Amino acid sequence: MRVRARFFVGAAIIVVAIGYLIVSAIRTTSEYYLTVNEAIARKAELGDQRVRIAGRVKAGTISWEPATLTLKFEMAQIPDAPAGAITPVAASPASELRVIAAGEPKPDMLAAGRDVIVEGTLGAGGNVIATQVLTSCPSKYKPKQAE
Amino acid sequence: MPDLGKLALGIALLLAVYSIGANIYGARRGAPDFVVSARHAVWAMCAMVTIAVVALWMALLRSDFSLEYVAAYSSTTLPALYKITSLWGGQQGSLLFWTWLLAIFTSIAALQNRRRNPEIAPYALAVMAGVAVFFLGMLNFVTRPFDLLAAIPAEGSDLNPLLQNYWMAIHPPSLYIGYVSSTVPFAFGAAALITGKLDDAWIRTTRRWAIVSWFFLTLGNLFGARWAYEVLGWGGYWAWDPVENAAFMPWLVMTAYLHSVMIQERKDMLKVWNLALIGLVFGLTLFGTFITRSGVISSVHSFTQSGLGPYFLTFLIIVVLSYTALLIYRSRELRSPAEFESYLSREAAFLFNNLVLVGIAFAVFWGTIFPVISEAVRGVKITVGPPFFNRVNGPLALALVFLMGVGPLIAWRRTTLDNLIRSFAAPATIGIATGIIAAGAGIRAWYVLTAFSLAAFGLGTVIVEFRRGVGARRHMLSEPRAKALMNLVAKNNRRYGGYLIHVGVIVAFVGIVGSSFFRTEVKKSVREGQSFTIGSYTLRYLGLKQTETAHLESATARIQVLRADGREVATMAPAKLFYKRPQQPATIVAIRSTPLSDLYIVLAGVDETGASATFEVFLTPLVFWLWAGGLLMVIGTVVVMWPNVRERAAIAEALSGVAARENAGEAASGGE
Repeated sequence: MRVRARFFVGAAIIVVAIGYLIVSAIRTTSEYYLTVNEAIARKAELGDQRVRIAGRVKAGTISWEPATLTLKFEMAQIPDAPAGAITPVAASPASELRVIAAGEPKPDMLAAGRDVIVEGTLGAGGNVIATQVLTSCPSKYKPKQAE
Repeated sequence: MPDLGKLALGIALLLAVYSIGANIYGARRGAPDFVVSARHAVWAMCAMVTIAVVALWMALLRSDFSLEYVAAYSSTTLPALYKITSLWGGQQGSLLFWTWLLAIFTSIAALQNRRRNPEIAPYALAVMAGVAVFFLGMLNFVTRPFDLLAAIPAEGSDLNPLLQNYWMAIHPPSLYIGYVSSTVPFAFGAAALITGKLDDAWIRTTRRWAIVSWFFLTLGNLFGARWAYEVLGWGGYWAWDPVENAAFMPWLVMTAYLHSVMIQERKDMLKVWNLALIGLVFGLTLFGTFITRSGVISSVHSFTQSGLGPYFLTFLIIVVLSYTALLIYRSRELRSPAEFESYLSREAAFLFNNLVLVGIAFAVFWGTIFPVISEAVRGVKITVGPPFFNRVNGPLALALVFLMGVGPLIAWRRTTLDNLIRSFAAPATIGIATGIIAAGAGIRAWYVLTAFSLAAFGLGTVIVEFRRGVGARRHMLSEPRAKALMNLVAKNNRRYGGYLIHVGVIVAFVGIVGSSFFRTEVKKSVREGQSFTIGSYTLRYLGLKQTETAHLESATARIQVLRADGREVATMAPAKLFYKRPQQPATIVAIRSTPLSDLYIVLAGVDETGASATFEVFLTPLVFWLWAGGLLMVIGTVVVMWPNVRERAAIAEALSGVAARENAGEAASGGE
């Protein structure tokens, strides 16, 4: 039994080490993942924390300057999935966030109506200063109801 | 044709249901006729699913837009190759493809076991048929590939341009083959649990399946990474996206499984662990399918919900719960008599390697589902990105490389200090020397120094092993060196193929470390004739060529690449395409790859006149070795899988031996 116990100690040390790595890494690297509405609601408390915000690109708002690699667009709340959810008739106040991303190429998939995840900070004036704009996939698995 | 496909899927479902019943009834009542007919039902089911697949392929090739699926994922102008790959370009098709693979693998397993494993094979086939019932049920009732459109469009909406790429033609099938072939060892493990035949017959029978599964998971992950690198234009190959993680986790656990079964075969230990691992692999393949289709976890690849999530989740929960219940039910019988004797033993190295691999898989799993958990617990979604995964997995990867070096050289059971020194003196010296050289070359990051030292140590142990083997053959059989090496590998292909895979993993690891730590990036807007530098290269923008076809518009930049001494080394041509339908740009990256570093140029933007253009350029050292290591892993696995006459005979003998022992044991076991 003593041999067995020794091995449990060895295994336990490894397990604890892995657990510690996970916990400490989560503490230092986690970010809020918010919708556009949530980001607007929490703006004050977020300060200059890095966040990820999911939204839908508004038509006619994309501007792209290739020389400075500056991309600007507005994004709105992604409507709830149609899976039986009842959307309140009194629509929530029109809420948009303006996104400014500098220094990154414009993603190929960025277009009006596409869903994006923007990573960055909420700056003054309600703009999102983005360091990264991720566009929705080569999404193969679109729902039929989309758009 | 669509009607035929629909009908075939319906019949296939009935056959699968029948096969479950007939297998179980036949095995329980000792009625071999039923087992035989269940086997025939499996083959008939496979034929039916094949008909459905052919029907969908025909519809795609003929651009039959009366089918909703064809209209959604193909078009008349799509090249034939991509019409074929459209089979897995969309949801219904990919599930059909999955089911087809399952049907084929189940049929092969039925064929292989028509005389072998009379006790567990019927249950294993019943389990596989059960999985088929789930997928066929989805195809018949939930997400039907042969649904028709009310109004037939004149043109389809085409396959996403990003998927019109040869890597995308081979990446999904590789992953699917890897996923689905893991069903076979899982089913035999489950059958061992159901029947209580808990010796290692199920492992031996399905070892090849497990290796095949691992092989294709490896390929699938590599192809996916290569696709991301070549097509997406961000200079990287892995982003820890949930969809990537979903493919990576089963690979990790399968790797652990392939190692730990060796301990069971040798030492009759870790029975529960092996059964748990193979259950975990299968569960993770379902989990992967679940998260890519449910929208529960937002991924760059699929934000949207497709309504399949609840079905997959339900099936996953049923599988996990019933398998766990079986494990608990048999836990008493699964205790192994043997024990670990020493930390300094191969068993210990394998066990720790297993813990680290599963630990990595767990960390990846936790990071992937963390947003969901945090939302459930704290009411707000919190994500972790690549920094989390790198931070956790970086140190664990070091531990893994270290254990990979230790494992092959250390003795089973226990090792003496003398032995240890004799085995490890040379590799350890190589490792330390490498570290010192790297530090002398100006590398200061402790992680990189450790990584390179451990990698060299790991390579050193493999060299020692090869030298030992070759030396023994030369000594005893007086073969010349080259012949001794050939024979060594040919006669022990599992072992030396395994070492080759280790070398591949270490080489790939070096590539990953180098490319992660030393990548430089320059973004520059230049006019025609102007130049800029990255690393020791000077890049001169020569001009832009714009063309237009019916399908797309393209802008191709020409860039002259000069070395520090002014010599021209290449002219590169990054381009931007604008597809007309669907209207979407696509980036064509220009890559110049050398063993030292990759020069990677993206045409980020062009101004209206074309006189100036903006480039994003990456100089990524050592990334070449990631792909080279991947290739070595593939070659090594082929060596491992190579049919070995001696081994085949040994398996046959072992299996008949097992049967004989069982028959003898049956009588004796009453007294236990």
